[in-house]
Amino acid sequence: MRLFDDLNIDYLSKRKMTYVISSTLIIISLLSFAFRGIELGIDFKGGTEIALKFQNPVNISEIRTELNSIGLGNIEVKTFGGESGILVRTELQVVPPLVFQRVISAIDNSIEESRPGVQRSIVDSTSNSVTYQFDNPEETDILTEQLFINGFQTAKIDDKTMNVRVGIADWVEEVLRDKLPDNPFVVQKEDHVGPKIGSELKRDSVISVVLALFVIMIYLGFRFKFVFALGAVVALFHDVLITLGLFSLLYGIIPGLNLEISISVVAAFLTLVGYSINDTVVVFDRVRENLKIHKTAKLEDNINRAINKTMRRTIVTSLTTLFVVTILLIFGGDVLRGFAFTLFFGILIGTYSSIFVANPFVYEYSLKTKKKIQF
Amino acid sequence: MIVAFLALSIYLLYPTYADRKTSNEIEKQLSFLGDSLRSANPQISDADVNDFLEYKEDSIRVSDPSIKENSEKRVKLGLDLQGGMYLVMEVNTAKLLEKLVKNPDEDFTQMLSEAAEDAKLSDENVVSILAAKIQDSGKRLSRYFGSIRDDDADIISRLEEQEADAVTRAIEIISNRVNQYGVSEPNIQKQGSRRIIVELPGISKEEEAKRLLQGSALLEFKLVKESDFTIPIMNRIDEILAKQIKYIEGDTSSVEDTTAVADMSPEEFARSHPFYSIALINPQSPYADAFVKETDRDKLKSFLNRAEIKNVIPDNVEFLFDAKPYSVQEGVNIFRLYLVNKQPELTGGVIVDAQANIDPQTTAPIVTMEMDSDGAREWARITGSNIDKRCAIILDGAIYSAPTIQGKIPSGRSQISGMEDMNEAKLLEIVLKAGALPAPVDIIEERTVGPSLGQDSIAQGFNSTLLGFFLVAVFMIFYYKKTGVVADLALFFTIIFIMGILAGFHATLTLPGIAGIILTIGMAVDANVLIFERIREELSTGKTAKASIESGYANSYSAIFDSNITTFFTGIILYQFGSGPIQGFALTLMIGIVCSLFSALVVTRLVFDMMAAKGNKINIG
Repeated sequence: MRLFDDLNIDYLSKRKMTYVISSTLIIISLLSFAFRGIELGIDFKGGTEIALKFQNPVNISEIRTELNSIGLGNIEVKTFGGESGILVRTELQVVPPLVFQRVISAIDNSIEESRPGVQRSIVDSTSNSVTYQFDNPEETDILTEQLFINGFQTAKIDDKTMNVRVGIADWVEEVLRDKLPDNPFVVQKEDHVGPKIGSELKRDSVISVVLALFVIMIYLGFRFKFVFALGAVVALFHDVLITLGLFSLLYGIIPGLNLEISISVVAAFLTLVGYSINDTVVVFDRVRENLKIHKTAKLEDNINRAINKTMRRTIVTSLTTLFVVTILLIFGGDVLRGFAFTLFFGILIGTYSSIFVANPFVYEYSLKTKKKIQF
Repeated sequence: MIVAFLALSIYLLYPTYADRKTSNEIEKQLSFLGDSLRSANPQISDADVNDFLEYKEDSIRVSDPSIKENSEKRVKLGLDLQGGMYLVMEVNTAKLLEKLVKNPDEDFTQMLSEAAEDAKLSDENVVSILAAKIQDSGKRLSRYFGSIRDDDADIISRLEEQEADAVTRAIEIISNRVNQYGVSEPNIQKQGSRRIIVELPGISKEEEAKRLLQGSALLEFKLVKESDFTIPIMNRIDEILAKQIKYIEGDTSSVEDTTAVADMSPEEFARSHPFYSIALINPQSPYADAFVKETDRDKLKSFLNRAEIKNVIPDNVEFLFDAKPYSVQEGVNIFRLYLVNKQPELTGGVIVDAQANIDPQTTAPIVTMEMDSDGAREWARITGSNIDKRCAIILDGAIYSAPTIQGKIPSGRSQISGMEDMNEAKLLEIVLKAGALPAPVDIIEERTVGPSLGQDSIAQGFNSTLLGFFLVAVFMIFYYKKTGVVADLALFFTIIFIMGILAGFHATLTLPGIAGIILTIGMAVDANVLIFERIREELSTGKTAKASIESGYANSYSAIFDSNITTFFTGIILYQFGSGPIQGFALTLMIGIVCSLFSALVVTRLVFDMMAAKGNKINIG
């Protein structure tokens, strides 16, 4: 099959229009950053996140109201992996002191239920655990096992003492077990991230994206001319900014799509940088070749010819990549959804910017400096 | 060459397939056995059934060495796919400094807690922040650390050394406990200067695992029992186990003559001597240490935990294993099992210092250990009355060394020799220090993935890969017709190569890693597309098929090369940036680039050249 054979489009003449499109998108993105902000996941903010899978479908808004009144402040509740899964998130690191007592009494009730009247005393408690002592070593074994089955995280310390975790996850799970007794759940994942890790990760993410742009610029500077390197990096910056703007703009608007910045989204941004540069370099390579062959031709003709000649490849590769990313978006599960979303729009914008940002940049530069670009 | 690569990849992937198959089979067998056991004996407790099944599974797995080999060579799954616990821990330097300081006053406590707070928000470490604070307050560091003659820079560097030591110690303590806990394929590694990453696959009891990793280490010195005490106990254990096994297996045949060991086949021996068949005693040795294969260790532990067996072992003694394998036989680690006094003679608190050294006379590695005055007094008494007996050095219930006491040690300064090499001596130094100086760790990140989420992810990843491949393949054939098939062939090879390389390097496959493979499927055709389009252009200028292929390839090289190198760079940066799952993604992405280039430049080239040589008309699309 042949598409776009002998294309002869003058892309550069349309650059004024695409400048307007690009700057509008960037302005919208910047405005959205300013007014809506970017939602960071717990990877960056620190906090606790739990994913639960119930046996039967659950009413998410009902759970939300339940969980907002359990003393943990404003808890985020979202669906996770279909109708019977939920994701609960809070920025809290430990259970607040007021709630702590309530969790302890829940643990105590559970002990009383399992072994009525058992002799016990609390010998120690930290911000995230409580230590029970029993008179009878046998009880320690039985209760460590039984409380674990009841859903608490327990550990036997020695013959007479048992440790029970008092975490946000334990409290949320206990409340849900209590409120929805006939809809049991399993814990799919529990994440707890300390505040220090988050701030380090933020720094590392920015460093790695900037470093990627820098390394690309150096390499292309060597292989092409510096202005090409600059054009490519401007295009990449454009892609990252607009995709990030989309994250900010669409956050919380599309149900089932969790658009917060997590580590895997940062990985997707780096991949998008990799993809977009790939695309740009292929066109640049053709420009370079044309400049060598048609030394007397005008720069704009060479650039237009290069884009036209590589158009088929651009479209085929973008399509195949979009295919697989769409599949990831639909079938890849919740864990990969943000990742796939980034790439989906990243590829569209990356393909656009290779043609309408990177190349016009090179052209504008040569117009401004009145220099002829030669290889 | 292509055939060789393909064969290699398939060879590398075979263990993964075989391991999956045998695991399924074993599981089926076991569940069948469990059911039949329950129906034959309805009163049997679940714990007994599980014990028996575990024992059976071990024996199936041990019976065929290829099973173990396959499971070691298979593609490993990341925690996000198989479920488990991921922890990042940091050594709490402030707590360490609290232990190291001499004569602390209120100022110091104040400064230390301030420094600890500041360190939470800054990149500088607690040591340098605290040092700056002490200097600011007009004091010298020697007021609190080291001796009066030391200058500040020396003290700082020594404290930093102590900090680094604490990390090493914490890693040793953690690995020791994780090994004893019986987690399969744990991963413990150092990250940066003060952090430790621990991955525990298949762990669901989080609190238990956390306590295991965080609790303070217990170092003990216990006397090893002599063989005339140990052997009768082992004999008794052996007899009881033999009876039990007959009961569980429902064997009603008459009791065999257990003395005729020489005539028995290994199976018979295992039935009549369940203990001695896995815990080998060297009759020539003066010691009654039993040698146990690593694969039999859990089984032996479960034997020793049975109530009937516990009754035979006197209350004041216990069986303990070596912490590290004593030797390796036919690829299997051998551990020694000792019978020791339950009551420790001394605990690690008395140790002031330990140092690994080279003995100047014999040039053999030695470890010297110093005790405080109370410890030294006790030690003199113990060593004096137990000459020629062995004293085991035990950290958290695992024996690191059991040197023989050669004479009374009055000063508390002891010297331990007989280490194989300096590494072993260094290890003993770390262990001895662990008793004296704690290595407090804080958990700063904790992620647990349940097995069900992992299963879902595997299924989703696998389906997406298949679907992605199918869609891209169909599109390529639709667009490029016959040459599309060539591209699809190259794509297929690419995926096989990626998997082969992952298996060959024992890399871990994570969910983002699978995403990387899927993405590669979409992007891998790029090189082929570039070449095809170029050949098509060349053909349209009227060149012959052969010449078009030649120049089509030649003219695409620079584009393919430059574009893939830049993508590869971002892959490297991604690998540096990420941890665990993200590294898996970066890895598959980079491997994917290399493999797709190989497929496009070598595999499709070969097919095209063959087509051209046959005189076929090349017609792209």
